Amino acid sequence: MDLPDEEGGDDEGRLSSFAGTAGIYLSDHAVHLAVIALLGLYPGIHHIVTGAVSASGYVLPPVDLMVTVFYFGLFAMSFDFISGYTGYLSLGHAAFYGIGAYTVLMVANGLVPYIPADTWFVASIVLAGLVSMGFAVVIGAVSFRLRGFYFAMITLGFTQVMYVFVSRWRYPVAEGSDPSFGISANPEVPGFEIGIPFVDLVSLEFSDSMLAIGRIRGDTVSSLFGTGIELSASSVSYYVIGAVVLLCYFAMQRVIHSPFGRVMVAVRENEERARAVGYNVFAYKIAAFSISAFFAAVAGGLFAGYRRAVSPDETFFFMTSADAILSTVIGGFGTLAGPLYGRTLQEVVENFLAEAPLVPGVLEGHDVLILGVLFVVFVLYFFTGLVGAVRSRVGGKVAEVVGERIRNYFANL
Amino acid sequence: MIGVETVSVFVLSVVELFQPSEFIGVLVDALSKASLYIMIAAGLTIIFGLIGVVNFAHGSMTMLGAYLGGFLVTVVSPGGLLSVAAFFVAAAGIFVVLTVAGGAMEKALIKPIYDRSPIYHILLTLGVAFVLDELIEIGATLYGISLISPWRAPLDAIPGVLDSTYTVAGASFRGLDIFEIGIGVVAVGVIWYFINRTRYGLYIRACTEDSEMAEALGVDVPRTFTLVFGVGVGLAGVAGLLLTWDLTGLMGQGGGATIFLSTSVLLPAFVVVIVGGLGSFEGTVLAGLLVGAVDALTTWLFVNEVVGFSALPEISLFVILILVLAVRPRGILGSQEVTLD
Repeated sequence: MDLPDEEGGDDEGRLSSFAGTAGIYLSDHAVHLAVIALLGLYPGIHHIVTGAVSASGYVLPPVDLMVTVFYFGLFAMSFDFISGYTGYLSLGHAAFYGIGAYTVLMVANGLVPYIPADTWFVASIVLAGLVSMGFAVVIGAVSFRLRGFYFAMITLGFTQVMYVFVSRWRYPVAEGSDPSFGISANPEVPGFEIGIPFVDLVSLEFSDSMLAIGRIRGDTVSSLFGTGIELSASSVSYYVIGAVVLLCYFAMQRVIHSPFGRVMVAVRENEERARAVGYNVFAYKIAAFSISAFFAAVAGGLFAGYRRAVSPDETFFFMTSADAILSTVIGGFGTLAGPLYGRTLQEVVENFLAEAPLVPGVLEGHDVLILGVLFVVFVLYFFTGLVGAVRSRVGGKVAEVVGERIRNYFANL
Repeated sequence: MIGVETVSVFVLSVVELFQPSEFIGVLVDALSKASLYIMIAAGLTIIFGLIGVVNFAHGSMTMLGAYLGGFLVTVVSPGGLLSVAAFFVAAAGIFVVLTVAGGAMEKALIKPIYDRSPIYHILLTLGVAFVLDELIEIGATLYGISLISPWRAPLDAIPGVLDSTYTVAGASFRGLDIFEIGIGVVAVGVIWYFINRTRYGLYIRACTEDSEMAEALGVDVPRTFTLVFGVGVGLAGVAGLLLTWDLTGLMGQGGGATIFLSTSVLLPAFVVVIVGGLGSFEGTVLAGLLVGAVDALTTWLFVNEVVGFSALPEISLFVILILVLAVRPRGILGSQEVTLD
């Protein structure tokens, strides 16, 4: 899922027919399609392969671990969107993740004034994103006067103030429980559904009983699109959350490849020059920051919907930002899909340490140790992470190289 | 809304604060906390002042110092008043061990990335922090040391002289508070002397001023960098040892050796360093005194039920950070122009 280039290259003139354009589009997105297909088939692959060879379960993480990859990967992507592309290290990104998670659960519990408790989950996720954007504009207006380490520290300061506040905030928690343990959805709140409001046709199961694609947790499908394929509850969560993450990925990818995204990269490469050319870099930075905050809040909302309970330590605490940095650097700093791969590797290692024989028991749960060593090596030698390593091997952006090869193949037929 | 009653309660309590007994208590508390803040921030500020590297692994190194130092104290402590001597033996041991470890880390990991952007420094040291935290956690698990609640063994080694409470002019405080103030004063004196009065201090100041010129005049710059990084880490370790004995901790978070020590130390250390001005040791001392005073005052306000918000010390610390960064990013005594990197 590497970033394809917008300029179609010199093939464009030659293949001007509709089929040609479609061919270029498809070949440019061949890597996207391959990765999406692989991720889409993963629950099936996991089921079949681990059924045949049980030892493969040490290497292939179970589907519910992969759900974590999606929502946390989205959060790491949103971090990468601002930090990888503009060069401003936002150590306070956990705040937006937390705002998303808390907003969604507070809406579901009917604690937000004027917002009914039965608001669609998709609507409350968007609401969470907008709230988060508002915070980002305010925080950004103060923080973007600074650079480098100072920017990192002031965002960190903001998120810690929120963390301390939320850890003591009695309003959203149930009577008699400790706010520092977090909040949870009331038991009577039904499962959070992902779907398109007023459109009941898209559903994993062709039946008129469901309005949405599926519930984020606890749904099973007895016959996928009427084909008779059964989906377990974790597979449904996987697809439903995966669909939202995919949508967000393409939205962010679109922004990065737009002229707006070019300005973001210009800010990273040479902010003085970008300003000299006439761009209002301050406004661009705040806009990019708030877009990033929107998606961070969506990720937080998905996390809250999936887990139904969140604590300040998992959301607002600055180490959550550090976790996102871990995924981002391992996957590839400044590559949008990289964080997803980084998080995937982390889950693979975590699963391996927990499951595989011969691993000392004391290492279980210490995947960060191995990832941390890898992290240091990557920062020293391979700053663009896994994606960068593949890029330097194939000699260019993967999507471009693959697209080029496919076009050459068909041209030579 | 703030009613008349609230205001009058506040005024009364402020009057109460200036009674000798209360005032001395708060003052001792403020100074002992200031000592801790200065201790945890000193290493960070020395490293930044010379090398320009922001060490995100500082908290983890403090935690390493806490666990290794706690172990040493427990092993060598003979009990009674001699335990104070054991503390100094442990402190010296920790300082040597961590200085060597810090120097090795600088040579292996930091040296290759000096000329890259600060983001690399932040990320690299953050990576070291990830690894160190996990290693310490695994080590503590193997030795059966409790991770969540403060480690008991070093706490039991606190000599009775320091553990008991004294009352002077109606004000009561623990012996440990005075001990911490003493350590803080000595540490500030020694570091100041090292930077301003010794040959190596001269090299360090020369390198801070203009490392190329210093090199041209025969100063071994890479070696000075290694030494300074090592000393900075060593100081973090000693601070960690001091924290194993302090159960009240910083910002009302609760102290002692726990696996939360690295994060709960890292942030206040950054706040003190930034408020004082990055790289200025004198600034760090002033900021430590300021933050210590704010911590002690807000704690007093909560304990005396003037404010019903238990997180007041912690939240005021970060509010100070934001205000300083927003209004005067270079801090009290910092000289660098920071808004333009």
